[in-house]
Amino acid sequence: MRRQRATPLARFPLALALVFALPAAAEPITVHDAFDRAVTLPAPPQRIVPIFASNTEIIASLGLADRIVGIEAYTRYPREVLDRPLVGGRLGFSVDAVVGLRPDLVVVTPSRQAANQLIDPMERIGVPILVLLQRSVPEILANIRLMGLVGGVPDRGEQVVARFEARLAAVKRRVEGRPSPSTIMITARLGNGLMLVAREGTYTGDAMVLAGARFALPGSRLAQVSPEAILNADPDVLLWAGNDRDLKELIARPGWAEMRAVQTGRAHAVSRVELLIPGPRTIDGIEHLAALFHPDRPR
Amino acid sequence: MKVWLGLGAVLVLALVVAACAGHDWASPADLVRAIAGDQALRSRLLFEWRLPRVVAAAFVGALLGLGGTIYQGVFRNPLAEPYLLGSAGGAALGATVALLVPLALPQAWLLPVLAFAGAWGATVLVIGISRVAGAVDAAGLLLAGVAVAAILGALRSFMMLALSDETVSLQVVLSWVLGGVQTPTWNGIGWILLITAGCIGLSLTLARRLDVLGLGETMATAFGLEVRRFVMLAVLAGSVIVAAAVAYGGLVAFVGLASPHVARWLVGPLHRPLLPASALVGAIVVVLADAIARSALPPAEIPLGLVTAVAGGPFFILLLARRLRT
Repeated sequence: MRRQRATPLARFPLALALVFALPAAAEPITVHDAFDRAVTLPAPPQRIVPIFASNTEIIASLGLADRIVGIEAYTRYPREVLDRPLVGGRLGFSVDAVVGLRPDLVVVTPSRQAANQLIDPMERIGVPILVLLQRSVPEILANIRLMGLVGGVPDRGEQVVARFEARLAAVKRRVEGRPSPSTIMITARLGNGLMLVAREGTYTGDAMVLAGARFALPGSRLAQVSPEAILNADPDVLLWAGNDRDLKELIARPGWAEMRAVQTGRAHAVSRVELLIPGPRTIDGIEHLAALFHPDRPR
Repeated sequence: MKVWLGLGAVLVLALVVAACAGHDWASPADLVRAIAGDQALRSRLLFEWRLPRVVAAAFVGALLGLGGTIYQGVFRNPLAEPYLLGSAGGAALGATVALLVPLALPQAWLLPVLAFAGAWGATVLVIGISRVAGAVDAAGLLLAGVAVAAILGALRSFMMLALSDETVSLQVVLSWVLGGVQTPTWNGIGWILLITAGCIGLSLTLARRLDVLGLGETMATAFGLEVRRFVMLAVLAGSVIVAAAVAYGGLVAFVGLASPHVARWLVGPLHRPLLPASALVGAIVVVLADAIARSALPPAEIPLGLVTAVAGGPFFILLLARRLRT
């Protein structure tokens, strides 16, 4: 079905011209993505559609925000890309809308049907689509590096990652050798009274460990736990991913005032965007968490 | 003849309108350019993505129209619809397995196959139960269908709760259940064409006996029809057709119910003209509903089953009211 656009020979003079004009820019590049697909880009992409805030932030962290031509409805950062056309939201992602933006790269994470809805059509239509998975802090850094490579700014990718790694090393020095407080981070309250907590093996859980905490509910396979289990675990630090008002409301519930974390003033609201979007701001989140877990040491 | 030409013209018109409809509307000239092999991104979008989907929608609608007509004929009930005998529940369970259970097979292939197997298997199960229970009549089949549907629905809900995680979200299953036409490749379209042609042929072999059955069981027996055997045969044939529709279109509400009625107004109650007319009506309805689903709320896409239900619900109520009044 896929027809050749132009023979490589026919493009040769143009490619040659580009080689002289922009030495690094005209090299085709092939990378392997999170689904182990080989993605080939004839040149660094100039019109990128990132699906999800995390991928948008990764691209923006490399200084490539001006190449973003479309976003999805739940992207709120950085401010400069918020005026871009929307290609999807709660009800899924529109192949029409994406292709209408004439992108030369779509970046997607397998969540909320995005990969299901977009990989097949983009492959058929011939738009390169890159799948990124950010399940841990190292994966976030690896993806920044990968996007730097794909975007034709590999040096910048290395610099950005090196900066983040230096900040993580500083956090590590700060928390090393100190007793890690047992911690529970509640990320959402469900209608049926259950609560979602950050688990081991997720980027949010990773951030907690890197910031020098340990899990008060270790080995929890499910993200949903009952409030009873949280009261019973009686963690040293209780975190609520959200605002202060909701935290106050949460710990005002019967029984919660007696928790150790509440009594010792170690129940804190933490930033959702820093800890629940697997992007560069997770590094900020880790620094902020470290300050909460180990408050007596200056930064 | 006039009716057929009219239906054909409306279908062609619906196909063209639907192919133009989308997040950004194409003109018929754009379509021609795309079909002629233009390689611009927009032309490729039209040729590789939008056109196959529009054609697939027509086939899904045609299959639902056929299935609905057979079921209404067999049960001699204007409220019968193709998902009556557990095929919806079975298909949804099959699709849930394909979407949520990590199996080492490509999902593009697994999903239609398991949906087909679920839809057909559930109906065969319903027929088996009614035979074992000795209730091989319409009422027995319907009751067995209700029971099997409840069991399958519960199994699916349990699987959705137990197997979903962050990356494979519940929304995937939910949106499949709410209906949506798959976008096959052009090779895939060839297969659907063959399947649909086969289904039309299969249903036409039943046409005359469905007419006889329509006279009532006693009358049909007097005409030499082995009623019970024929009911089984027709239900099996109908379930294959519905399962094929489900495999490519998910669960699309009301089309199978409404198309035979519209077709009956146009060509009368005899099944030989009714079956193809109903297929044409079903095709037109699904093609247009899919166009609305794709273009009403850009950039989002409304699940197809919701569009047909919102339009089909009032139609169903009207039908019920008319039936109660007569």
